[in-house]
Amino acid sequence: MALDRVSFNYNGIKAVDELSLEVPGGISFGLLGPNGAGKTTLIRLMVGLLRPRTGSIQILGKAPSRKTAHLIGYMPQLHSLYSELSVWHNVDFFARIYGMRDKHRREQQIEEVIRLVDLWPRRKDPVLNLSGGMKQRVSLACAIVHKPPLLFLDEPTVGLDPELRVIFWDYFTALTQQGATLIISSHTMDDAAHCHRLAFMRQGKVIAQGSPDELRQATGRPEATLEDAFLYFIHRDEGNA
Amino acid sequence: MLSSTLSIAMREMPSHAFTIAGRIVRQLIRDRRTVAMIVVVPLVVMSLIGLSFPEEGVLDFIAPALLATLALFFSFLLTGISFLRERSQGTMERLMASPLSRLDIVVGYLFGFFIFALTQTLIIVLFTIYVLGVNYYGDLWQIFIFQIVVITGAVNLGIFISTFARNEFQMVQFIPLIIIPQVFLCGVIWPVEQMPDYLQWLSAVLPLTYAVDGLRDIMLLGRNLIDVGSELVVLIGFAAVTSILAAITLRRGAAS
Repeated sequence: MALDRVSFNYNGIKAVDELSLEVPGGISFGLLGPNGAGKTTLIRLMVGLLRPRTGSIQILGKAPSRKTAHLIGYMPQLHSLYSELSVWHNVDFFARIYGMRDKHRREQQIEEVIRLVDLWPRRKDPVLNLSGGMKQRVSLACAIVHKPPLLFLDEPTVGLDPELRVIFWDYFTALTQQGATLIISSHTMDDAAHCHRLAFMRQGKVIAQGSPDELRQATGRPEATLEDAFLYFIHRDEGNA
Repeated sequence: MLSSTLSIAMREMPSHAFTIAGRIVRQLIRDRRTVAMIVVVPLVVMSLIGLSFPEEGVLDFIAPALLATLALFFSFLLTGISFLRERSQGTMERLMASPLSRLDIVVGYLFGFFIFALTQTLIIVLFTIYVLGVNYYGDLWQIFIFQIVVITGAVNLGIFISTFARNEFQMVQFIPLIIIPQVFLCGVIWPVEQMPDYLQWLSAVLPLTYAVDGLRDIMLLGRNLIDVGSELVVLIGFAAVTSILAAITLRRGAAS
């Protein structure tokens, strides 16, 4: 997964500005930054919902298109579920549109992901009747049911209680262990610490990237937290500008 | 040139249309109240019209027109609202990021609404024949094929118009703009010929005029689909134009 000097504007405002990025396979990659830093726009560019104004994007060696779509799992910021339908039917619908034709295999995989997110006893309930955290879990299940090698998660832990957040990170770790690459946006440093690699984003640019340890060490203070590191890079970025 | 066109056509084959149609049917069926309304409302309307006009034959005249009107109204509004939800709840983003083509989505919606609107048509036809005692000529299958063309235009129009609505309230506001004028101007209640010239001219550009004319010819005069060919051509043209508009505006909301 590689981005080369990608830019995107919304009505003249630079949401993503000459951004270059390379994400190696099989890791969790965190896009960290405040609201409005361009994280969601960047994810939409990478999943092919938006076309870059300039620059190029490569997903597993190809430009994002309908041909690469089945390789990608996408969990948008909203729950993005059919609320009248049951948990099972939501996951089943997305399994089908990702081309899982074989009934037996599809049902097996649906069961597997619903069990993974711990909603098997609730599988027949309409999504409408579930709590926010449960909807978030269904949303994740819909994004991973076709076992994509590349997964984009837009603020997957927003609104989750601390316990559920830990559980989500267990899911994510399990997915990377199975070989998937995860690209996760977040604005909390709590998530950042779990990622293998991070990119700090601000005003449509990546101001620093590296592993959490590398970013902490770059501040020159051994006791620095990731928050300190983020502030350090913001100041440095402002100094440059 | 031909091979590239063919390969595009192959790639755009709506292979997942049935998946989407199935989902729409399941969603609507889950909503028992909506299903009940779809069945009961046309029967109430038909009965009211039947009872409120004292002279014989008015219902014969109005029932075919109402078949077309309800198919248009129902398919347009429900498609519009379903699509609006698809956008506002964020599922459209998921669909656009998936391997689905636009054609899959549009054709899926069409199939889904064919099932509902044709069921409704069947219920109205049976009700008017057996309960209200109206006599019809014309084959049911010809009525169905004619209705499929009407519904195709209505579903596409619903997808297109939903782009201009931000919420359900705004979508409902399009009823007085798009449906009600057609009910008055397209010969549903009184003949087009009795209206002033400029309104007759207006009715000539509204699709419901042709839907009403065609269904009346089939049901009251026992004509077949070839006899109503000119009306069918206009309605197919309407469906073609709206399907292009729908396909163009489909992405909006997912990528804004």
